[in-house]
Amino acid sequence: MIRLYHASKTYGDHAALQDINLKVAKGEFCYITGPSGAGKTTLLKLLYAAEKPSEGKVMVGGVDVSTLTRRRRPYLRRNIGVIFQDFKLIPSRTVAENVSLSMEVLGYPRATIQRRVRAVLSIVGLKGKEGNLPAHLSGGEQQRVAVARAIVNDPAVLLADEPTGNLDGAMAIEVIEILQAINLRGTTVLVATHDMALMDRFPYRALRFVQGKIVRERPCRL
Amino acid sequence: MAHIVRRAFRSLWENLYLNLVSCGVIAASVLMIGVFLMVMYNLNAITHSWASDVHVSAYFRQDVPAERCFELKEQVAAMPGVESVRYVSEQEARAYLVAQVPETESVMAELGSGVLPASLEITLEPSKAREQGLQEMVAALALPELEEVDYGQQWVERFNSFLALLRLLGVILGGLIALAAVFLVANTIHLVVYSRRTELETMRLVGATDDTIMAPFLIEGLVQGVLGAGLGVIALVAVHRWVILRLQQALELTLAEDPLAYLPIDYTLSLLLVGALLGVLGAWSAVYRFLAKAP
Repeated sequence: MIRLYHASKTYGDHAALQDINLKVAKGEFCYITGPSGAGKTTLLKLLYAAEKPSEGKVMVGGVDVSTLTRRRRPYLRRNIGVIFQDFKLIPSRTVAENVSLSMEVLGYPRATIQRRVRAVLSIVGLKGKEGNLPAHLSGGEQQRVAVARAIVNDPAVLLADEPTGNLDGAMAIEVIEILQAINLRGTTVLVATHDMALMDRFPYRALRFVQGKIVRERPCRL
Repeated sequence: MAHIVRRAFRSLWENLYLNLVSCGVIAASVLMIGVFLMVMYNLNAITHSWASDVHVSAYFRQDVPAERCFELKEQVAAMPGVESVRYVSEQEARAYLVAQVPETESVMAELGSGVLPASLEITLEPSKAREQGLQEMVAALALPELEEVDYGQQWVERFNSFLALLRLLGVILGGLIALAAVFLVANTIHLVVYSRRTELETMRLVGATDDTIMAPFLIEGLVQGVLGAGLGVIALVAVHRWVILRLQQALELTLAEDPLAYLPIDYTLSLLLVGALLGVLGAWSAVYRFLAKAP
């Protein structure tokens, strides 16, 4: 599902990623870990085409992101869900409206959107909170809204950039359990995190990045 | 499409203050362009009426007999573009001069007859009373019986140059006003875009095309433009009624016989179109700037 061939990314003199070769299979759950500035976020940005590699090739779902034109970029992203540490929810929109945004922009009929949004909010455990504003939710609930928004279009790949970074232990576990459930439905999940406790509790394959290079790989222990 | 329109109107409502500012900017720009258009329109109308008053005076040589003068009068009257021809005898010219400048009466009496030539006062059709038509008429009047042909050439040329300069200034000024309006509207809408950046970034992340993101803003710009231009036109009517006409009366401006006119309907519609364009262009420019930077 995801392939990187000698991919590098530099910003001026700074090398954020150096000569990365990586393969993540369809339906796999994989952690990207390492200290701050190791290149975790840059790797995710390459995958959802927010950045282009300076060298090498990046393939997602058979699409070569390295040569993707601006016009084709939205069509790749429709197959990728992205979750951020700071949730990136729209404060003036209700939970249901935040989630339905992903479907509205693709032009789905209203009835389909409502049905699907209800189903997804039920998956992430937010049934009954459709009309709440993000400010009235806990951090864990807000992140679950972000997860619902990322999966409502049923993407093949889910990228999560420090999804538990702003959450306490119990809420972090809840979020990873949801990602695990989504993964079990066949979605490839890539989680950037430096939370070792979580990685030990859910011991999927983990790639450790340091200064833009993969320095260690831990296989899945499940 | 329905959700794009819904999003546009929701945003208009949620960012009411900023949108009202945009409308105000467009209204002010349309008002300024409208006032200038109104001035130009009235000046053109006045020039047109003046142009139809341009006469060509053809002066006979002293030795041309009156019968020949009348023959030539008929000949000139038959020329294309000539509306009317009046024969002015030496006596009539003398009487006119004395009536206009009474001090010349004694001088004229002393000089006797044969001082002022008889002439033909030719009025041209309005379409011919322009530089080219006048030149053609002068060429056609190159007859041995005529000593001099005069049509106030310098005055007409100068006035035409003045009008051309005024039009050029109008185009430059109108262009600058329109540019400033686009800039101001773009910056106002840019504030709306900035306040909604999380939403727009999210839209991009979930696969919205640039067109899908742009469309609601263009609708917002169009609504702002038309509303702003509507307000501008209402203000223009008020300025015409309450300021221009009163100013004309107060200053006793008698450039034209009639009061200075308001713009015809097609000009008003053009102003609405200009407003709509300003709104759409402003919105396009603001969102384009955002999209160009967005990941």
